[in-house]
Amino acid sequence: MQEAMQPSLGARLSRWTPQLVLVPTLAAAFMYVVVFSVWTLWISVSQSTLLPNMAYGGFGEYAALWKSKRWIVAYQNLFLFGALYVLGSLFVGTLLAILIDQRVRFESVWRTIFLYPLAISFIVTGTVWRWIFHPQTGVERALNDMGWLSANFDWITDRDMALYVVVFTGIWHASGFAMALILAGLRSVDGDLIKAAQIDGASMPRIYRKVVLPTIWPIFAAVTVVLLQFAIKTYDLVVALTQGGPGVATTVPAIVVYDLMFERGQIAQGAAAAVMILAALAIVLVPYVAWTSWRDRKQGAAHG
Amino acid sequence: MADIARQAFDPLATGSRSRQLRARSIVYALLGFFALLYLSPLLIILMNSYRPLAEIVREGFISSPEAMSWRYWGEAWGSFCLGGSCEGVSRYFNNTLIMTVPATILSTAFGVVNGYALSKWRFRYDTWVFGLITLGVFLPAQMTLLPWAFVLGKIGLSNSLAGLVLVHTVQGVSFTTLFCRNYFVAVPDDLIKAARIDGAGFWRIFRRIMLPLSPPILIVCVIWQFTGIWNEFLYGAVLTSGSNQPITSAIVAFSGSGTGERHYNVEAASVIFAALPPLFIYIVGGKYFVRGLTSGAVK
Amino acid sequence: MKSHRAARMSSLSALAVVAVATTAQAEPKINMMHQWAQGSEAEAIAKLGEMFEAAGGSWEQTAISGHTSDMLAKLSSDIVAGNAPAAVQLKGPEIAEWSAVGTMANLDDVAAEEGWDDVVAPELVSVMKPGGNWVAAPMNIHRVNWLYSSVAILDELGLEVPTSWDEFNAACDEIMAAGHTCIAHGAADWSDATTFDSVVYGMDIDLYREAFQNGDVEAMRGQGMIDAFAQLRKMVGYMDDGINGRSWEQSMTMTMTGEAAFFMMGDWTVASANLAGFEEGEDYLCNQTPVDWGGTGFILNADSVVFFGQEDADYVEGQKLLASTIMSPEFQVTFNVAKGSIPSRTDVDLSEGGFTGCQQQGLADLKASASEDTLVRSMAHNMTVPQKYRGAMMEVITEFVADDSITPEDAAEQLAEAVELQD
Repeated sequence: MQEAMQPSLGARLSRWTPQLVLVPTLAAAFMYVVVFSVWTLWISVSQSTLLPNMAYGGFGEYAALWKSKRWIVAYQNLFLFGALYVLGSLFVGTLLAILIDQRVRFESVWRTIFLYPLAISFIVTGTVWRWIFHPQTGVERALNDMGWLSANFDWITDRDMALYVVVFTGIWHASGFAMALILAGLRSVDGDLIKAAQIDGASMPRIYRKVVLPTIWPIFAAVTVVLLQFAIKTYDLVVALTQGGPGVATTVPAIVVYDLMFERGQIAQGAAAAVMILAALAIVLVPYVAWTSWRDRKQGAAHG
Repeated sequence: MADIARQAFDPLATGSRSRQLRARSIVYALLGFFALLYLSPLLIILMNSYRPLAEIVREGFISSPEAMSWRYWGEAWGSFCLGGSCEGVSRYFNNTLIMTVPATILSTAFGVVNGYALSKWRFRYDTWVFGLITLGVFLPAQMTLLPWAFVLGKIGLSNSLAGLVLVHTVQGVSFTTLFCRNYFVAVPDDLIKAARIDGAGFWRIFRRIMLPLSPPILIVCVIWQFTGIWNEFLYGAVLTSGSNQPITSAIVAFSGSGTGERHYNVEAASVIFAALPPLFIYIVGGKYFVRGLTSGAVK
Repeated sequence: MKSHRAARMSSLSALAVVAVATTAQAEPKINMMHQWAQGSEAEAIAKLGEMFEAAGGSWEQTAISGHTSDMLAKLSSDIVAGNAPAAVQLKGPEIAEWSAVGTMANLDDVAAEEGWDDVVAPELVSVMKPGGNWVAAPMNIHRVNWLYSSVAILDELGLEVPTSWDEFNAACDEIMAAGHTCIAHGAADWSDATTFDSVVYGMDIDLYREAFQNGDVEAMRGQGMIDAFAQLRKMVGYMDDGINGRSWEQSMTMTMTGEAAFFMMGDWTVASANLAGFEEGEDYLCNQTPVDWGGTGFILNADSVVFFGQEDADYVEGQKLLASTIMSPEFQVTFNVAKGSIPSRTDVDLSEGGFTGCQQQGLADLKASASEDTLVRSMAHNMTVPQKYRGAMMEVITEFVADDSITPEDAAEQLAEAVELQD
């Protein structure tokens, strides 16, 4: 529009304002995302031990990492815990959202009760639930004291079951977030769709299953991404809850990274582990990004 | 608008009266059961913050309290000896406040402007820019610790609250930009086009159109950032020193192995103190959180 | 005490003269990084601060609680940022490792003035002087191989404290038959390793030296190690079901209230026991863990403060003052009474100051063990092999304790492989 006249400096600058405004963030993000990741990648093939050392050292650290039992258990736990945590939080969140959606009274009270765990730090969450789960201080002890002597509630001390305790605690923490999003989504479903289904004689559960939930599918995807980000970064929760035990049964990759880098003075191997975490992220993210851009392109094509 | 459509649909209104009653009682029963499950840790912490230590050790955490005392709250806030001073957690509480508030405000401010720029002013590679900024959400903290320490050292901000504010702001801008941009996408483009035809520039449109529309997403950003920064341990402990440490350090100090007894009651009271600000913000801003996140995160 | 103070004052004034010659009068200051944020150790560190200030220094501390990795993360970050800490709590092989990658302060002047080489226990001196000069000051000496026995259960069954592993097993069989738990234990990598330290040491001291002190991989896969794992497996059988997630203080309480018979842990137990009101001789007895080779056994662990090279003259002064304060008999007594350990100086009289009978016994045993040449440093408490090996070994040990299906043969092989993998 303004190209016809000679643009003044002010006018030219103002044309670039959006980009200029983004420059600080872009510079920071570039440093934070690109430079730090490249640094980590380089360090993973360097000779770093106690302190970063830029000399090239080869891919030996990756080999050593994958031969260690603790890492293999941790990586498996990442996928197992991640899947159960995300699916579990989605399921519980959906259930709670549907319940609250039933025009119940005191909605804000229920909502706050289910949402408040997210305000508590993972460290505190892990600590308190550990008190509750441990046989000698928590539920089993309380039941025994009340007279039910054969009561058993010691999953947290059981190698095979301890991970499920971590999953449970994680779901307690995050399902309120899922609930909040899904609830708002339920509220935004077009009433006409539902009325039509009602007229057709569908029962309530069927309406939810066939009409409501599919419509808010994008919300599920969004919740999944944020939950995944929590799952992959899980550290404080496990440390406070089980310390990675019994043995190494509940250890997760973030713990291994931290431990290798600092406690054991093997920064290169720790960086290799961090790169593997990013790889796991990529496995999940790349399909999602590809899918959304495919969907956007489809929508764009549809709108012509 | 959705609410009006909603009122026409009451899922439980399908069926006979007795079925309705049964259905409603099931709903309330389920809600009550879950509510108890969700509240139980909070109740247990609260209960144990009043009991003398000997009783907790003897009876476990889940038992009816015999002796109760307010004393431990006072100790936790003002007199318990932690990390070299005997001032309880009040000092750490204030440190965290001094660090969290600026970082929250800054990251939200940047986020809202970035979100506006990315959603309403298309330019070449804008999707790549958005993607790059968003990727920051996923980086594990353990990985970025040493690089940050290096950067802070180079610019002279190591071991200071200001340095910590910088770190949290940069890391937070990824989240806030993501939320805000997805929220502003829903604002009709016609509004912007009309304003541009009238001659309004970038900032004018921001002030007159976007800002008035943004309270829901602003509150979402504030809640998310405040909670995340307030509860963060690793960077808080490593990038500060001495008397600058945040409250998460104090909480972890209670569980540190030492030859002393573990004061569960004072720990419980401290945990409540530590949780109060985020809890307060959640309770007050909860409904905006629900409203704002939806439009923000869907795309 | 007076001549000591005089020595310190004279060394300080000597340093002051040098300082004046180069810069203005340097005010000694320090910021000590350590892990003891609460409890009696924190009080002892506070006392150190008071003594430091009383001697004219300006004191600051940074307490990083949580796990050692958190403090080490801060240490690495500070060094990467260019702010190596003036004083930091490090121990064992870490001192040598960090000396290799960082510049350390040189405390030889202070050491010579105050005669540290003569009074510090010989096993420790080499640890504090990895490159030949003093870079660290030892705060205490812990003994790791203590066996605490419940007076109640021993009296009830008329048993003596076992002195060899066979006697121990026999006693446990009797105790279990009478319906008590024999060994109180809290499973964690370090506590499992602590127990295993004592087992290997007690069964074969040469094996301990080769495998745990020198890191010899062949010794790790040998028959001796297999036998040691077999003994450990047996001992897990003498424990109860709640070992996962139990803290060591809870195990201690179990033993001293008579719920379990034996507890193997280092001497910091004594400090906790005192605070909880348990009485030595009435509630518990302290002896060395069983040894099969008859003699005094002592597995050593020591906390120490390391000093990184500083450019700021004030910090340089502060380091010397702090090192001197730490080594002073006054601090050694205060700190060690609080912590349950014994001073790193062997010339302190333990009959005064509030040391318990167990602590005095510990010092006597230290001297005896040194002269018998049976004194070793602890692998479980990070005094021998570098962390990357120790961590890998502890993983194997803790998995063995947690998983019944791992045989002693497997475990020995895994131990060797884990260490080989780190090269």
